[in-house]
Amino acid sequence: MAESSNAANQMDIDETAIDEGLYSRQLYVLGHEAMKKMAASNVLIVGMSGLGVEIAKNIVLAGVKTVTIFDPAPVTVQDLSSQFFLRAGDIGKARAAATLPRLAELNAYVPVRDLGGKAGDEVTVALIKGFHVVVLCGVSYKKQLEINNWTHENGVHFIAAETRGLFGSAFNDFGPKFTCVDPTGEQPLSGMIVSVDKDKEGVVTCLDETRHGLEDGDYVTFSEVQGMTELNGCEPRKITVKGPYTFSIGDTSGLSDYKTGGIFSQVKMPKLLDFKPLTESLKSPEFFITDFAKFDRPAILHAGFQAISEFESLHNRSPRPRNDEDADEIVALAKQLDSDADEKVLKEMAYQATGDLSPMNAVLGGFVAQEVLKACSAKFHPTFQHMYFDSLESLPNNLPTEADVQPIGSRYDGQIAVFGKSFQDKIASHRQFLVGSGAIGCEMLKNWSLMGVGSGPDGIIHVTDLDTIEKSNLNRQFLFRAKDLGHFKAEVAAAAVAEMNPDLKGKILAKQEPVGPATENIYDEAFFAGIDGVTNALDNVKARLYMDQRCVFYRKPLLESGTLGTKGNTQVIIPNLTESYASSQDPPEKETPSCTIKNFPNAINHTIEWSRTQFDHLFVKPAQASNAYLSEPNYLESTLKYSGQQKEQVEQIVSFLVTNKPLTFEECIIWARLQFERDYNNDIRQLLFSLPKDAVTSTGQPFWSGPKRAPEPLVFNSSEPTHLEYVIAAANLHAFNYGLRGDNNPALFRKVVDSVIVPEFTPRSGVKVQINDSDPVPAAEGSTDDDPEDLTSKLPSPSSLAGYRLNPCEFEKDDDTNHHIDFITAASNLRAMNYNITPADKHTTKQIAGKIIPAIATTTSLVTGMVCLELYKIIDGKNKLEDYKNGFVNLALPFFGFSEPIAAAKSKYGETEWTLWDRFEFSNDPTLAEIQQFFEENHKLTITMVSQGVSMLWNPWIGKKKSDERLHMKFSALVEHVSKKPIPPHVNYLIVEVMVSDEDDEDVEVPFIVVRI
Amino acid sequence: MSVPPAVMRRVMRELSELEKNPPEGIRMQMNDEDMLDVTGIIAGPEGTPYSGGYFKVKFKFTDEFPAAPPKCWFGTKIFHPNVGANGEICVNTLKKDWKSTYGIGHILVTVKCLLIYPNPESALDEEAGKLLLEDYQSYCNRAKLITSVHATPRVKPVEFNKPSAQELEATKSKSENDGAKDATAKPVAASASESSSQRAASTSKLSAPTTTTLTLPAPASLTSTLPLPPILAPYAMPILTRKSASPAPPMSLKASLSSDKEGLGVGPQKDRHPSPSPLGTADANVGGGKPGMGVGIGMASTAGLGGVTGTKAVKRAATGTAVSGAEKRKKALKRL
Repeated sequence: MAESSNAANQMDIDETAIDEGLYSRQLYVLGHEAMKKMAASNVLIVGMSGLGVEIAKNIVLAGVKTVTIFDPAPVTVQDLSSQFFLRAGDIGKARAAATLPRLAELNAYVPVRDLGGKAGDEVTVALIKGFHVVVLCGVSYKKQLEINNWTHENGVHFIAAETRGLFGSAFNDFGPKFTCVDPTGEQPLSGMIVSVDKDKEGVVTCLDETRHGLEDGDYVTFSEVQGMTELNGCEPRKITVKGPYTFSIGDTSGLSDYKTGGIFSQVKMPKLLDFKPLTESLKSPEFFITDFAKFDRPAILHAGFQAISEFESLHNRSPRPRNDEDADEIVALAKQLDSDADEKVLKEMAYQATGDLSPMNAVLGGFVAQEVLKACSAKFHPTFQHMYFDSLESLPNNLPTEADVQPIGSRYDGQIAVFGKSFQDKIASHRQFLVGSGAIGCEMLKNWSLMGVGSGPDGIIHVTDLDTIEKSNLNRQFLFRAKDLGHFKAEVAAAAVAEMNPDLKGKILAKQEPVGPATENIYDEAFFAGIDGVTNALDNVKARLYMDQRCVFYRKPLLESGTLGTKGNTQVIIPNLTESYASSQDPPEKETPSCTIKNFPNAINHTIEWSRTQFDHLFVKPAQASNAYLSEPNYLESTLKYSGQQKEQVEQIVSFLVTNKPLTFEECIIWARLQFERDYNNDIRQLLFSLPKDAVTSTGQPFWSGPKRAPEPLVFNSSEPTHLEYVIAAANLHAFNYGLRGDNNPALFRKVVDSVIVPEFTPRSGVKVQINDSDPVPAAEGSTDDDPEDLTSKLPSPSSLAGYRLNPCEFEKDDDTNHHIDFITAASNLRAMNYNITPADKHTTKQIAGKIIPAIATTTSLVTGMVCLELYKIIDGKNKLEDYKNGFVNLALPFFGFSEPIAAAKSKYGETEWTLWDRFEFSNDPTLAEIQQFFEENHKLTITMVSQGVSMLWNPWIGKKKSDERLHMKFSALVEHVSKKPIPPHVNYLIVEVMVSDEDDEDVEVPFIVVRI
Repeated sequence: MSVPPAVMRRVMRELSELEKNPPEGIRMQMNDEDMLDVTGIIAGPEGTPYSGGYFKVKFKFTDEFPAAPPKCWFGTKIFHPNVGANGEICVNTLKKDWKSTYGIGHILVTVKCLLIYPNPESALDEEAGKLLLEDYQSYCNRAKLITSVHATPRVKPVEFNKPSAQELEATKSKSENDGAKDATAKPVAASASESSSQRAASTSKLSAPTTTTLTLPAPASLTSTLPLPPILAPYAMPILTRKSASPAPPMSLKASLSSDKEGLGVGPQKDRHPSPSPLGTADANVGGGKPGMGVGIGMASTAGLGGVTGTKAVKRAATGTAVSGAEKRKKALKRL
């Protein structure tokens, strides 16, 4: 085994073998290094029930060398409770064999094999030879021990996992010497420094109050340090944090004196882990805590899972659902292992032992799949060693009876065993609106389909997504296949899960209309009246905020979730109970000041931001402006006049339509070559002319120091790859603007660029300034240029070019052939060369320029499972804060955290307490004066300002005449009058905000107002 | 765009406050139709080459406001090192130092401060930056020229017809003090402006005569008033000596529209490690330093009024023009 493992590791895996288009989002989570190791790993998964298939799905999507499955047991109807790749027609066939074709079509790069066998066969040591990772799902402890004894000795990574109802368990043994190369998965930190003490304890201080973000025990090295040059490229030094801007690197007294400058870079140090084999670990377990509010649970579950396994060995059957006799026996068995174990929890475990819930399998399946990837790639910190998780609080407040949980021979038996048949009916009658059908959306629909959400006569699922399916989606949006590319996500997903569970045929309504103010005629009052709740599966804050607002208005529960790489969170919003999504938000990322981008970049993300803007400036805006000139009557007069940059814009249009309009591709190459000269040579020389390298600041410090890196102009050289790549991309994009056919042949480019005559550049020597009042006034700017009128005369009349249009580029990051990312990468790297910043490869540039959010199926699967565990509670109608849980996870560390939702904040007017869920309602289209009167008479509050949407309807300074007029208009008329827009016919109420003050003239906050019109 | 009600509520509150109590030299142009279509007008602070001009500052609120700053740019052409050709403004408040408690008023006061303390070290317009570093007088002349061409209307914007509370208060106390002022202030002011008109050509760092620190009226309340920093006359606040001669604001900008303790983010940074150039961030420029360090620093109000309470000698080295302090005061009074 060890041999074959080495052989696999030695296999030279070509980097291009990784399909960046498919794995794009996941590569930003794992990196090429880890993906290459995964591509050399063979994984075996034993047990193809709900949990096994969830793990297998996530691993096949992630991409390993091969996935092999083993489960010769025949499919039963109960399997359909959570096994999404089995159908009613598969009943009686071997589980693995029936699963294989559907699993295999998830990822063309991952061959999936079935070990075969016949019903009743168990996994043996002989079968697991040749695999790097072995995952046992729902296998007895006896068997686990037998297999683990062998894997521990033979360098095979071992994982065991199972779920029973609302309880889950996972165990890792990656052997005695497992090296984890990147325990956190976070980007290594780096930053500029401003001093290093020469001392026994050398304290490093960061520049400009920038937080270093390091932690005690981290390692750093340095570059660009002047003076204490021994630090440059030094062996990683362990640090101690001294403050947010300072850290110590140990003894520096023997080094040279620090002068100036320098950058620290964190170095990730590998971590060696010594896993115990299962035999030892069962006796002295180390637990990974999944919920700090239940810190005693892992020990109980540790005993409980073993007891159930023991029971099954003794009786050759599982404990019967909610059967006290069986449960008592399990409690007794568990007490032998751990006499302190809580009886109530153990009993629930016994009751639910045959329970099989799709959400639990999603949570555990996502988690375990990530552990498999950790075993393959050594990326991220593996769980050490036992993980137990439960969601006992998802049980209904009225617990089911024993009779209610008996199997009825239905596909929902796994869920009925836990929740009972009556609750199953509630689930079937539920009506949910799923907003988004991407990664989270697909997983959500899969879980709902298995749970039977909306499958009853009264139930329904609405799902909407405006997107169509793209290649990079296929890596984790597992309901989509290559044949679905270009189709609407919501439609394909709805069809896929209705096929999964035919009870949902006709019960899923797919839409393409995105949610937003423009579609309130579709998602209107009647629509919201017809649903019980909303689940967000969105990828942007704007839509999340909008849905939040709508749910607050219609008082609907909202399930919110999101992922970022290995991190995920879930939030439950319950009307009249919790705060809403908008109540607390993460701060958005800080932007970089524009002068840093324009003149003083010091990091690659600065040059990437600059080149992204360059892309717009060169290939989008001029073409758009030219088209606007050609198509909009009086464009120059009306639009440009108010832009404040009329001259520049006219110049640009003249250049694009007349003076520099290319007729051949060669001219585009020349244009690109000259653009190179301008941006990477001339402009840099101009900047250095204005601010020479020896310039000093007011305080006599060198101007170019600290975060300001003095640039160096580039001299074009067609044999420099980046120079030529720039010209190739720029020329092709310019050609695209004009509809000219491009070319990629470097030889052609070299030939053309080397013959381009580049005009000599002299920096503009300052601007002419008027010294005395009596001097003639020089023209406002650049006195030699034409004024706009002269320029305009150079423009062809739009009619002379009737029908002629340029093609503005539409930025598309995921098309490898369109030169967009090529251009941005080349432009950014050229500028990085100007400023001596380390360039970035295309992959990294694409993420930053395209603002790509890293994503991986494991996190999505887990987060969606957690959301569904909360959905059970919503369906049950739980109404106490402590019933619900908001979750935070990071699979890389790993970390699980749960918190009670925050209560809606209470405000007060007079003696009345209110929250964001309250409002005033007015009917019959009243006048503002009537509303005013209502507040005066009933609450002794004076209205000081009134707004609706973005319109300011009334305030005290609009003047008496206007005020009198507006106060006495019907509300709908008032809104139309001020907004100057008609109210659409479907609108039957308006949301109004007022500012009011009390009798002491103090501002008082009051709820919003709903005015029915 | 659908704006969350809480955000709309906040904008409404802020606009109401700005309308009732506009900061000195700052007025709003509002649009009933669309409250988010906000334009601020900043009167070019006296004693700067922007004096006499009125500069529009446009706002665009993103979905993430107030968590993320609004986009904000000059709608009036201006020659200023921190303002780009498209009106873009380089000031940290609008980028990395943004806090969700900051508001429209805060931004406008910050931008106004930037007119008073341009920061060549975060230059967007490097030509302006170069001039400011190398040849202050040329910078002034150029900025003044652009101001006169692009930013000086024949009549001042109507928004400025109504004085702010501070301005009113200033006028009141001014008239109360007029007698005393005439007796003490005039001669100094006159002599100062005489010398200043010559100095305009020679540009020397510490040439301003000793002046008394002026005291602005105390803000009525933290949230309802936007006190402005006193203005330094350009000669008295030479770029090259800013570090040693920190301006001495009698009251810190902390008491700005937001109740946020950090105000413009200057005060609390004192004990952090300073960068080699303390003015490295645009913000560091606008907050002023420790009080009472000013040597040869002229202070002036920005209100378009000649002098403010208790000012003995308000130096406003008129940029190139030889208008006496007294005349100027008269003019300013007329404007009210």
